[in-house]
Amino acid sequence: MTPESNKLLEKISQFFSNIRIGEIMTSPAIVVTPETSIKQVKNIMKIKKISGLPVVKRGLKLTGIISIEDIIKVLENGKLEDSVERWMTKDVKILYEENTLSDFMSISQKYKFGRYPVINNENKVIGIITKYDVISWLFEKLGTMYIHDDRRKKILEREEYTSRLTGELLDNKKISFDFDIDYTEIQRIGTGATKLKSFLKKKGIDEKLIRKVSISTYEAEANVVIHSESYGKIFCWDFEDSIRLLIKDYGKGIENVEMAMQEGFSTASEEVRSQGFGAGMGLPNMKRFSDKMTIISEVGKGVIIEMLFYK
Amino acid sequence: MKLSNLVKELNARILHKAKSLENIEIEYAGASDLMSDFLAFSKPNMLLITGLATPQTLTTASVIEASAILFVRGKTIPKNFLEIIEECEIPILTTDFSMYYTCAKLYQYGIKDAMETDKENRYDT
Ligand SMILES: Nc1ncnc2c1ncn2[C@@H]1O[C@H](COP(=O)(O)OP(=O)(O)OP(=O)(O)O)[C@@H](O)[C@H]1O
Ligand SMILES: [Mg+2]
Repeated sequence: MTPESNKLLEKISQFFSNIRIGEIMTSPAIVVTPETSIKQVKNIMKIKKISGLPVVKRGLKLTGIISIEDIIKVLENGKLEDSVERWMTKDVKILYEENTLSDFMSISQKYKFGRYPVINNENKVIGIITKYDVISWLFEKLGTMYIHDDRRKKILEREEYTSRLTGELLDNKKISFDFDIDYTEIQRIGTGATKLKSFLKKKGIDEKLIRKVSISTYEAEANVVIHSESYGKIFCWDFEDSIRLLIKDYGKGIENVEMAMQEGFSTASEEVRSQGFGAGMGLPNMKRFSDKMTIISEVGKGVIIEMLFYK
Repeated sequence: MKLSNLVKELNARILHKAKSLENIEIEYAGASDLMSDFLAFSKPNMLLITGLATPQTLTTASVIEASAILFVRGKTIPKNFLEIIEECEIPILTTDFSMYYTCAKLYQYGIKDAMETDKENRYDT
């Protein structure tokens, strides 16, 4: 984090300085035992996308911590088959579950470590806390306190999405393009799709592919505005071999997805039809232009359309 | 057919120029008042003919990469959408002819169907 964002974090955290660590931490923490090999730890870090793990003995009793920095030392001077015990840091800085956010702020200022195990009074590891946990917690808190909008909270909570098409993690932080769909005006349909189109053009992506992506986005965007009764979001990831799209809303959902997928099926009103929509072609079009597509829908909760286009 | 010629033949008015009409060659066209028709069966660089003069028509034309938009029955985009029109990178025309007559005329000039339903009596494909 930059010094400025650190400062901002400190400022905001002041308002919540009495909040208990137990409320903010990630629990349970991913832990390893001293006998685990460095190689295994490396794999866990890679798969779970974490940079450090508490090392525990029986009963989750804390004996050390192993982090990326230790792994680097192993790579330089040791063997991947070595046990964690040989390389872990034994002098662990910890926090107790009843410590407060202000304790976290002072300890992290003093030591600058990335993570601190959280233990209870029996020295048992019950969680782990990083700056990231604090930020997510604050976001959620601010979201519910000031925005008073549960839907927004949902977005903030969900940092990543596991692709239903490939099982990959679609990371919020790696999004190439995103757009908020304004559902209040039917005339604004297509604003997001045209913005995405110019974005992809600037990236020099194949024209034919851009056309397929923009048409599919247009249809999905139109559906959010016309049918969902909620605002929505367009997310696009530009990967090496594919373009990935996620269009979601938080509205009424689709009652019968199979029926909705049929050409010609539409519940659009007369007014919507007079605006050129409601031919019941949108979902079939998305299917036609994308290489893979899936609809996740829950009545009363919204619709997620995920599409994949090969490059 | 050059778009500039098409303007003359249809007595069309140019609502938004965007770029030089001399350099735009029209080979295919499609006509509908349904946006999904264009989205499903379009060809890049086609002429989009419609009686639906709304901002959505412009965004539809943009995502399908149409060469030009032609409104029939003298329709124009309401003035309060001027901003959206200015942003449009595609020329927008309007003719007083009906959809039917406009299409009949253009077909005579050799402009082909973007949906390719005219293939049954075409020799050139
Ligand atoms: N985001 C959504 N939220 C709620 N219902 C939806 C949503 N998307 C689609 N539907 C339902 O699925 C039906 C079929 O959608 P589809 O896009 O295929 O056709 P349409 O939107 O009605 O017409 P067209 O897309 O041709 O303008 C819709 O009429 C609507 O009932
Ligand atoms: Mg639709």
